[in-house]
Order: sequence, then C-alpha cells, then structure tokens
Amino acid sequence: MTIEFDMRPGGSVGVTPSPITPNRDYSMPDRIYRRGVQIAGLGVLVLLAAIGFFLINKGFPAFRVAGLSFFTHSGFNTLGHNPTFGVFASLVGTVEVAMVAMIVGTPVAIATAIFLSEYVPRRSRRSLIALVDLAAAIPSIIFGLWAIFELQPNVVGLSTWLSRHLAFVPFFKVTSPPLNASIFIAGLVVGIMIVPIVASICREVFSLAPPGEREAALALGASRWQMIRTVVIPFGRGGMIGAVMLGLGRALEETIAVTIILGGGFLYGPHILQHGGTTVSQFIVVNFGAGGKLGTQALLLAGFTLFVITLVINLAASSIVNRSRSGAGVDL
Amino acid sequence: MQAAPPGVLIANSSVSTGSLPTRQPSRPVPPTRGPGDPSGGTPDPPAPRRLPTPIRPGAVGPQDVALIVVSALSSFCLVWVVFYQLTSLTGGLGFLVCWYAGFLALTWFGTSQVIERQVATDRVAGILVWTAGLLIIGIVIFIVAWVTYKAVPSIHWSALFTKDQRTLAASDPNLLNHVGVLQAIVGTLEQVLMATLMGVPFAIATAVYLNEVGTGRTARLVRTVVTAMSGTPSIVAGVFIYSIFIFTGVLHYSGFAASLALVVILLPSVTRVVEEVLRVVPSGLREASLSLGAPEWRTVWSVVIPTARSGVVTAVLLGVARIVGETAPLIFTAFGSQVLNANPLVHDQGALPLVILSNTHAAQQVLIDIAFQAAFVLMSIVLILFVLARYFSRTKSKKSGRAQPTEDDMMARYFLPIPIERSPE
Amino acid sequence: MTTYATTPPPPVPEDVSGLGHNRGTDFSGEAGQIDADGVHAWFSGRLVLAGVTLTMEKSKVTALIGPSGCGKSTFLRILNRMHEVVPGAQLAGSVRLDGLDIYGPGQRAMETRRHIGMVFQKPNPFPAMTIAENVLAGLRFSRVSAGDKGDLVEASLTKAGLWKEVKDRLGELGGALSGGQQQRLCIARALAVKPRVLLMDEPCSALDPTSTLRIEETIKDIADEVTVVIVTHNMQQAQRVSDYCAFFLAEENLPGRVIEAGRTETIFGNPTDQRTFDYVNGQFG
Repeated sequence: MTIEFDMRPGGSVGVTPSPITPNRDYSMPDRIYRRGVQIAGLGVLVLLAAIGFFLINKGFPAFRVAGLSFFTHSGFNTLGHNPTFGVFASLVGTVEVAMVAMIVGTPVAIATAIFLSEYVPRRSRRSLIALVDLAAAIPSIIFGLWAIFELQPNVVGLSTWLSRHLAFVPFFKVTSPPLNASIFIAGLVVGIMIVPIVASICREVFSLAPPGEREAALALGASRWQMIRTVVIPFGRGGMIGAVMLGLGRALEETIAVTIILGGGFLYGPHILQHGGTTVSQFIVVNFGAGGKLGTQALLLAGFTLFVITLVINLAASSIVNRSRSGAGVDL
Repeated sequence: MQAAPPGVLIANSSVSTGSLPTRQPSRPVPPTRGPGDPSGGTPDPPAPRRLPTPIRPGAVGPQDVALIVVSALSSFCLVWVVFYQLTSLTGGLGFLVCWYAGFLALTWFGTSQVIERQVATDRVAGILVWTAGLLIIGIVIFIVAWVTYKAVPSIHWSALFTKDQRTLAASDPNLLNHVGVLQAIVGTLEQVLMATLMGVPFAIATAVYLNEVGTGRTARLVRTVVTAMSGTPSIVAGVFIYSIFIFTGVLHYSGFAASLALVVILLPSVTRVVEEVLRVVPSGLREASLSLGAPEWRTVWSVVIPTARSGVVTAVLLGVARIVGETAPLIFTAFGSQVLNANPLVHDQGALPLVILSNTHAAQQVLIDIAFQAAFVLMSIVLILFVLARYFSRTKSKKSGRAQPTEDDMMARYFLPIPIERSPE
Repeated sequence: MTTYATTPPPPVPEDVSGLGHNRGTDFSGEAGQIDADGVHAWFSGRLVLAGVTLTMEKSKVTALIGPSGCGKSTFLRILNRMHEVVPGAQLAGSVRLDGLDIYGPGQRAMETRRHIGMVFQKPNPFPAMTIAENVLAGLRFSRVSAGDKGDLVEASLTKAGLWKEVKDRLGELGGALSGGQQQRLCIARALAVKPRVLLMDEPCSALDPTSTLRIEETIKDIADEVTVVIVTHNMQQAQRVSDYCAFFLAEENLPGRVIEAGRTETIFGNPTDQRTFDYVNGQFG
C-alpha cells in the first residue's frame, strides 16, 4: 500500500481527499435542452446506421438469389424464371469513369489551387475564388446538359483522332464506333466537376504554407515556381492527397451527369472511347422500375455497394486532410 | 574605387539632414491612398517636394513578349501543318490541345535558350497554372451564359410560371404558349422548403450538441459520422428513403418522400458549417451569460446563436442551394409529374431537375427547349442563393471584425465532407 | 541579357563570369558594394520610407539602427528585391550592386537575390530537407553544379560556426536543430551560394545570448568575404559588430528616413544630431 501525501496546508498525511464534484444539478429546462440536442446528435448516428441497415436488409433477397455472382456478373435480367443480374460491368465502368476524371481533374484542380493561392493578383482573388466555388454549386444536371450539348460534339473529334493515331494504347482502341456517349466523355465531365472540390481544399492547405519558408526560398534566388515546389507543395502534400481522395469519392458517386452521357449496356473493357458503358449509379437509375420486385432489391443492393465504397474512401480522406491540417504532417 | 574615409556614407542627400523631411506632394504618386498626412504641426516645413514615381520591378519587357508571341505563332504553324496536313485532324478541340502543347514546348525551349532554364521552367509553370485557373472560371461563366442563351429566346414568360405540362404534345407548334414548368417549380419549392424546415433545426441542434454539450468519444463519433455522411452519394439518399418508406408501402411517391431524401443530404453539410460558425463565438460571451445566472439553454438561444446568426443564415442558404439541384434522389421519391400537384403528401410530384432529366434526350426541339427553360429557372435559383449567402457572410465580417470563417472557407466546407479543424493559435 | 559582369563601373576584378558560383569551395570571392540612392517605399499607397541614400561599403559591416517602424527592415528588403514580394508594396529610387542597378531594365529578382543573400529574423530552414540539403538548396534553385558538394557543405557550415555541432548528423532534418543552430544553418545556406552581400534582418532577436554571441562571431569572420548589412535593435550588438552605422527614424506622421550615418564610433561616440544621441543613449525608442 502506498501512502499518499496531501501537500496542501492543513492536509493530513495518509488521507487523500476526493475531488469535489461540481454541482451537475441542471434545472428542468436545461435538462430538456441538453437531452434534446443529445438526441439530435445521436439521431445522426442512427440515421447513418439506418441507411446501411435498410439498404442491406431490403436488398438482401437479391443477394440470396444471385450470391457473390452479383459482383462478378453483369446484366439485369430479373423477371424470368432464371434471373441473372450483377454489377460487375458497372463496377468496372465506375472505376474507369473515376480514373478518367481523376487523370483529367487532379492536375487541373491542383493547378487551379496554386493559381488561386499564389498567382492571382490580390485585388481579384476574392471574386475568382467565388467563381471557382460557384462551379461547385452548379447542379450536376446542368453540367450534364452542358456536356451532352456542348462538350460531347467537340470531344468526339478528339476521340476520333486519338483512336486513329494512338490506337496502340489499349485504352484508345475502338472496336465498335460511334464514339459518343462514352466512358471517356463521362469521365471528362466528372473530372471538370471535381475540380472546384479538390481545388478548394488544396487552396486552403497551400495558403497555410509558412511565409517564413516562402521568403527563405525566394531570398535564395528561387523563382516563384521553385518556391512553390520547395515550400508550398511539400507542405500541402497531405492535404492534397486527402483532397484528391475526396474528389475520388465524388467521382465514384456522380450519378446524373454520367447517366445523361453514358450509352449504357453491359459491355466492359478497356475501350473507353467508344459508345456505351455503365456505372453503379447509372445502373440504378436506368434500371429503376424495370425489374419487378427482385429487380428493385438488386438495385438496393447496388446502392449499398456504392454506399460502402464511398464511405470508406471519404473516411480515409478526411482523416488524412485533418492530420495535415493540424500540422502533424503525413508521411506518405 | 573610393577609399573609405569616415563619412563616406551619405545620409539623406535628397532630404536635408536634421531638418524636416518629405512633405506630401501636390499629386500623391501611388494613387491608392495619399502618403502620410503632413499636418502634424511641423515648425518649418520645406517647400513641397515631388515624390518619385514608383518603379515597377519585374514588369514584362519587350523580350518576354516577343518570346511568347513567336512561340505562339510558330507552334500554330507547326501544329497546323502536322495535324491538318499529315494526320487529318477533325474537331477544333484537338487542334487547340495540340497547339497549346506545342506553344508550351516552344516557349520553354526558346526561353531556356535566350534567358536560362530556371526562367523557362518558371514561365511555363506560370502559363500552365494560369490556364488551369482561367479554364475553370471560363467554364463556369460559359455554362451560366450558355444556359441563359439557350433558354431565354424560347421562353414565354406568361406560360413559364403559370402553366404546367398537362397539355404537353410535342407535335404542337405553339406548345410553349401554353406549357410551362409550374408543376416543377411548385414541387421543387415545396420539397426544398419541407426539407429545410425538417433538416435545419435538426442540423443546428446537432451542431449545438457537438459544440456546446457533447464531450469525449460520443461527440467525436458523431462528428466522424457527420463527416462520413456528407460524402454519402445523393443517389444513396434517394434509394434509402425508397427502401424504407416506398418499397415497404408506408408512403407513396410524393414530395414529402423527396424532402426526406433531401434532409439526408442537407443535414450533414449544414451541421458542419454551423458547428464551425458556433465554434468561433468567443467563449467569453458564454461565460458572461452563465455568470449572470442565465441557464444554459438561454445562453445558447439568446447569446450564442444570435452572435453567429449570419453565419448560420449563410450555412442554410448554401445548404438549400445544394439540395435544390439534386436530381438523383428525386427519381426514387418524387418520381416526377407533368401535372401540377400542390399536395406534397400524396402522389407523384414534379421537380425542376426531373424536367431537365426527362427532356434532355428528347428528339423534338421543343422538348429540349423545355429542358433548357427548367435549367434556366433552376440555375437562377442557385445563383440567387449563392449571392445571398455571400452577402450575408460578408456583412457580418465587416460589422464585427471577428474571426468568422470567410465565405470562401464556408463555401469550401459546404461542398466538402471534411470537418473543420482550426488550430487554436 | 545583362549580367553583373557586363557593366563594370567600379573595376570588378576577375571572376564574375559564372555569376560567382564556380569559385570552388573556399570563400575567397569578392564582396560587393551597394549604393542606394533616393530610395522611397510605400505599403498600400502609404509612404513609409523617403529619400534614403546610403552606401554600404565593400567588405564592411553596416548596421541599420532605429526604433521599430522606422523603415529599416523595409530598406533592407529593398536591397535584395524582397520588398516587391509583399502585396501592395511599391518603391522608387535606385540600388546599385557594384555599379549595376538591380532594379534596372532586364534585371531579374532571382538573380539579384543570388548575389545578395538574406537571413531573416525568425530562423526558417526548410523543415522537410536535411541539414545538407538545406545548405545546398540555393544551388539547386540556380542549377549550378558546385564542384564537390560535400566540401561546399563543410565550408559553408564551418563559416557559419555550425560544422562541429552537426558534422555527424548532416542527414537529419533541418527542423530538428535548436533555434540558434537553425539560424546558423540559415546563414550557412545563404553563404553556400557565395553572395557578395549578406543582409541580416535582426538575426538574433529570437535567440538566446550564447547563440547571439556565436552569430556575432560568425559575422566578424565572414565580413572579409561578404559585405554584411545588419538590422538590429540591440545597441551593444551594433557597436560590437559593425564598422558603419545608419540611424533611421520615422517622426510622427512622417515616413522613415536616415537621420545620420557614419562610422560606428562616431555615431555612438560623437553624433552630430541630437536625436541620434538620444536614441543611442537610450533616451527614447
């Protein structure tokens, strides 16, 4: 047994006073208030749990029919005696759209962030930032509308040229024209849509780069670009990675713009320039109401799949961004 | 070289030593603001002296302009020859892309030959960064202008806001005289209003919980979940409401079901922004109120939230701007309708995004016109909300000068699933 | 393209060919002289510095003293074109390094800064780089291959008085050093590009007395090879390290300017202006 000493004047040896518990006796209205906001906070937990639970619960009969082949087969034939359905092609398409979007969107977004934090004259910075943020506020259906009427006619020419002259790259090979309504075009739109999201986070992280080190680099004779590469980008690396992952989450879930563009069908493969293609969210929208009860259950199961994928990616991303924001740094 | 006797350092040859220094010139030279006010009661002011004009270091010289112009022209010619003559390129976009790449390459090469590599790399990087930024800004401005341009000529203002689509027949040449998007506007407004009424109190209460009441693991878990939910796909929100209410037969397709789906999207975003707004309310205010004997709920209700009012308003406006354009969840909940249905509790209801979606792939030009009209109305609503949100956040920061998050930060937060961590310093 | 080599009003001896970078790893390079003439500075349109004309002698230490807000740091930053980095900053006048106007047409700021190095108030090594990489950072920017990098690192760190302490840990991150060591690392980093002038903006104000003394020794050691201009609030330090002194003052509602300049003994022992006397004897400021 250890004897504890009370060091306070008048304290007696061997007796440890128990700390005073402050009076937690809230008045009735305060108790109601505290309980109320606690319920709201816990309500959020319940809501997230409910999303997961109801999607898997209502979608499970479809899983019982299809089993794991739901993830390895493609198609939506739920009405016959021998139903076959699955999201494999949609998963492939989702990944392909997201990859095109990230390849197009990430460099543009990071460059935009550098533009806004390092290059824009001070007087016009605020309004330009507002315009880039406005790009995040434009509804995706309007992006889809723009893409199908303005972007697609212009991109088809580029696609044609790519398929003609760079066909040795497997992705640019075309086996069955036409070249509209393709994964490539859908990825391009989504890539533009993620730019403001990724750019806002990167801009914020970049603007936190320590001014002392910026000046040190400049005073050593660095050009502005060398200063950015030596100080700003290494400082913001963690935030950039998180931002790109958040953009990825957004690219995986984008529904309407992709649905408007994509030609559909269940073919999958590396030929992203040609007509056709499907993603998980496009699969849900296009087949909604077309497959009877089993079909609906299959769509709920697909929704659950999408939910889980984006949840994992977003959680990982935000933890990375937060670590880099709090200054702890990220070793990646 | 001179020897260095004492006094080689000459102090102030232009302003007489020991006496009074520069006065404000009659024409202040940097025109933004006049230099220091000389009316400080100086005993023997010397004659007003003209200040020199500021020099502009790092200005672009003729050599730099020449390099850029030459690179642009020669890359244009090169790319034109290679692509149109040798590989028969189609489409202007590909040509622009190739011209741009050629321009960058030639600029880099020319600058590194004429000046040096360090400058060349710096210049090419600068061009790339400017291009990216202006590209995105250009796309935004283009989309806004383009939707307006496509929609406005075909709009019959008398029909747009007063007629629904019950008489829709694509073969009718005067269709747009008697077909509008009334049912969609009513539907969207009702759905968004209900979602706001349900979601905003919930969101504010959650934010108050996170900021004022919650502690420890539970609060951290709630914050993480809010973060995770703000990245939840909007289609999942729709499918979720469908699975829980409509699939089970509890509700029919209706505006109310749509608003429930919108709440799922609105809740996490508004919570996150409001939480940040509440966090910057100085704790001194809370302590002052509590020490006066006010109960906690009164402190939050009458001190904390009013202090952060404009931030909360901004958060709500941005939240509404986001859900008003959501399309995917409505497919599974409101379902869409061509007939005006003002009762949100029963039957399919129209919505602006659904009008766009269902008419985009139409074969008849007149239906596409309707899609553009709906897009124009929708975009106008979003723009108004966006401008209002910025207005509110700006007036606040001017008045109090307190460390409110700027509207830029709020915007960023709004659309991003990251909780806000500000280091205390 | 104009380099410092092509316009030689004062006879600049031998090397200047390769911007002074290929001089091997010893510090036998030429120090430079700076002539500032009629320098004015504004921040957001407000005049903060008016009509400063000052010569900073080659191979000497010049101290800029004066109360806070008198424009001496601004003046220092004008000498290597760091002033224009600040948003809303403007300036007028001319600054000549060995006779060549660094604000002349066609002059690039980054080249100027290679010749006129700078050490800041707060130590600012690049935290993600190792000690050796920090020393070599300036060379990396200008893409100059420095004969033997190891020798250069050693020579620079030795000059800055840091070699003995860090020679076994050159691979550690620069941020791991103590404040005084970091500041000496910054001095080594600035010296590694072999500048002709080294500007120091209150280099010791964030440091403890021992580190301050080490840095003052360093300043005396390097003064033969590089002209030093130092801003300091510490009168004793100005007396200890400097050969010349310039007293800056911004009187009420007026921009800063030089009240008196001359040999350090004169400024501290027998100043001509009453305000200088008051300041150096601690009567105000």
